[in-house]
Amino acid sequence: MKESYVDLINIRRQIFAKIAKIAYDGTDLSELEKASFEILPGEVATYRESIFRERAIVEERLRLTMGLNARKPTEYNRVTDGIAEVDVAETQFIEPLINVIPHACEACPTKAFYVTDNCRKCLAHPCTNVCPVNAVSIGKNRAVIDHGKCIKCGRCKETCPYSAIVQYDRPCAAACGVNAIESDHLGRAKINSDKCVSCGNCIIQCPFGAISDKSQIYQLIKAIKANDHMYAIIAPSFIGQFGPLASPAQIFEGIKQLGFKDVVEVSLGADITTIHEAKEFLEKVPNKIPYMGTSCCNSWTLMVKKLFPDQFEYISDSASPMVETAKYIKAKDPQAKVTFIGPCISKKLEALREDVKDYIHFVITFEELMGMFVAKGIELSEIEVSKEIEDASALGRGYAIATGVAEAVKKTALAIDPSKDINVECASSLHECVKLMRAAKAGKKNGYLLEGMACQGGCIAGPGTLASFNRVRKAVTEFKNQAKVESPLDNSIIDENLRNV
Amino acid sequence: MKIKVCAGSNCTLLGSMNILDQIDDLKDIISEDADNYSDEILEVEVIKCLGYCKNTNKKVAPVVVIDEEPMFNATSQAVMEKIVNKIRKQN
Ligand code: FES
Repeated sequence: MKESYVDLINIRRQIFAKIAKIAYDGTDLSELEKASFEILPGEVATYRESIFRERAIVEERLRLTMGLNARKPTEYNRVTDGIAEVDVAETQFIEPLINVIPHACEACPTKAFYVTDNCRKCLAHPCTNVCPVNAVSIGKNRAVIDHGKCIKCGRCKETCPYSAIVQYDRPCAAACGVNAIESDHLGRAKINSDKCVSCGNCIIQCPFGAISDKSQIYQLIKAIKANDHMYAIIAPSFIGQFGPLASPAQIFEGIKQLGFKDVVEVSLGADITTIHEAKEFLEKVPNKIPYMGTSCCNSWTLMVKKLFPDQFEYISDSASPMVETAKYIKAKDPQAKVTFIGPCISKKLEALREDVKDYIHFVITFEELMGMFVAKGIELSEIEVSKEIEDASALGRGYAIATGVAEAVKKTALAIDPSKDINVECASSLHECVKLMRAAKAGKKNGYLLEGMACQGGCIAGPGTLASFNRVRKAVTEFKNQAKVESPLDNSIIDENLRNV
Repeated sequence: MKIKVCAGSNCTLLGSMNILDQIDDLKDIISEDADNYSDEILEVEVIKCLGYCKNTNKKVAPVVVIDEEPMFNATSQAVMEKIVNKIRKQN
């Protein structure tokens, strides 16, 4: 989440901790009816114009965190209506994953250009001269834009010597790389699920906290309490997320104290994916397919599937690091139930896929995990640990940062076949991914390895993170450099047959 | 000046890392403006939970302690204002 949205984070995360506590304590779920009063006591509003509205929104957040839909403002419903369906010890997915909380959305106007008080009504008025549709004129006090004519090209804004023209957009729509944000009859944001690829960037950007995904922590904790074969796998971007004092080994130990049998780095799965993709690239490009796209970012592959269906076969069909890590665990313990912990919301959807659902049973984010630590009273920095974490190579650990996947696949492919020339291009942010795919479709990226990531800067900027981008980038890079081996081909945990080339 | 920022679980959940980031940025602003700020060194220390959050059922996190004086429900703006007021040169 955006760390500067302090008040939003406060509410959002208190609710994670609250639901986790209810789950661990086995509290009767009827308690949820009054939970909003515990989270927002008193009668004075802090965040919005009235405490009643604040509490109503908290109640929807409680429901979403339980995995339920937000209520319709037009229908009578109690907070706990439908709760029996989600009071279970397995993931109970109710569509959609990404939800607009209707009464939290302020129905911000859609994209437009405005003239501000900075306008001096200057003699040159280049704004009028550059407008391709003659929509700008000089009014009594300042330049005036005819919104009926304006085609939103932004040329007036660029040319104004006083920076008097501003572009206004809804933060959710501006963040969406696939134009999935539309409006309902009251002008509130509405997500077009045919277009949405669940990257979660609108959740990060909305300054009213009006968009939220659903959580599985309640069901996960119930499962932990009932099952001894619960394993956690944690994404490469976990370093530094849980405070500057918590070491990687302490984080692993803390997760075990939550009730998991063992924890494995997803970077191990990244190593396996790297070897598969490197071999795949060498074998297929350019003879069988013109270029190859990486497969690990679920929103990127979903985007290609939805917007460029005829190009989808050029995306690698190697399983993602999440799935490879789970397969590794399953091979050792066939009864294993695996929980993926990461920065990513989209993985919650990937886990439901036919070819994935037998390997991954729960997906939660770092934020949700932190809520669980608080609910259990675990202080990571006080845990005694002795051994280091050594599941993965440096290249595998680099997956979390944009360009890291392509780097790993390229270096590994070159280690296998040094004679090969490999061109690489990376896009991070969904907008950039779409642009890259357009170029690829036009035949401009033939012979390339294309890396796509939906979050700008890579997974370390994901919607489920706690620490800032720079903080995590530094920590991840340090951890990467501490890896005992550089290349996945030297990672002795991985099956030798796969590593033999 | 000694600034302690709690990085216990409660405080981390509720944004203490953001306060740390903001203080880091503030250091740059201060060091570039020797005219207005004294050259007193800002000693920022990240600390474990001091128990403030555990000894009460009120919400106190995040906790920041500036020169032994604790601030509860600390926000970065309140913390930075306090720091700036302490090291701004009087004229
Ligand atoms: S976690 Fe900061 S005071 Fe307890």
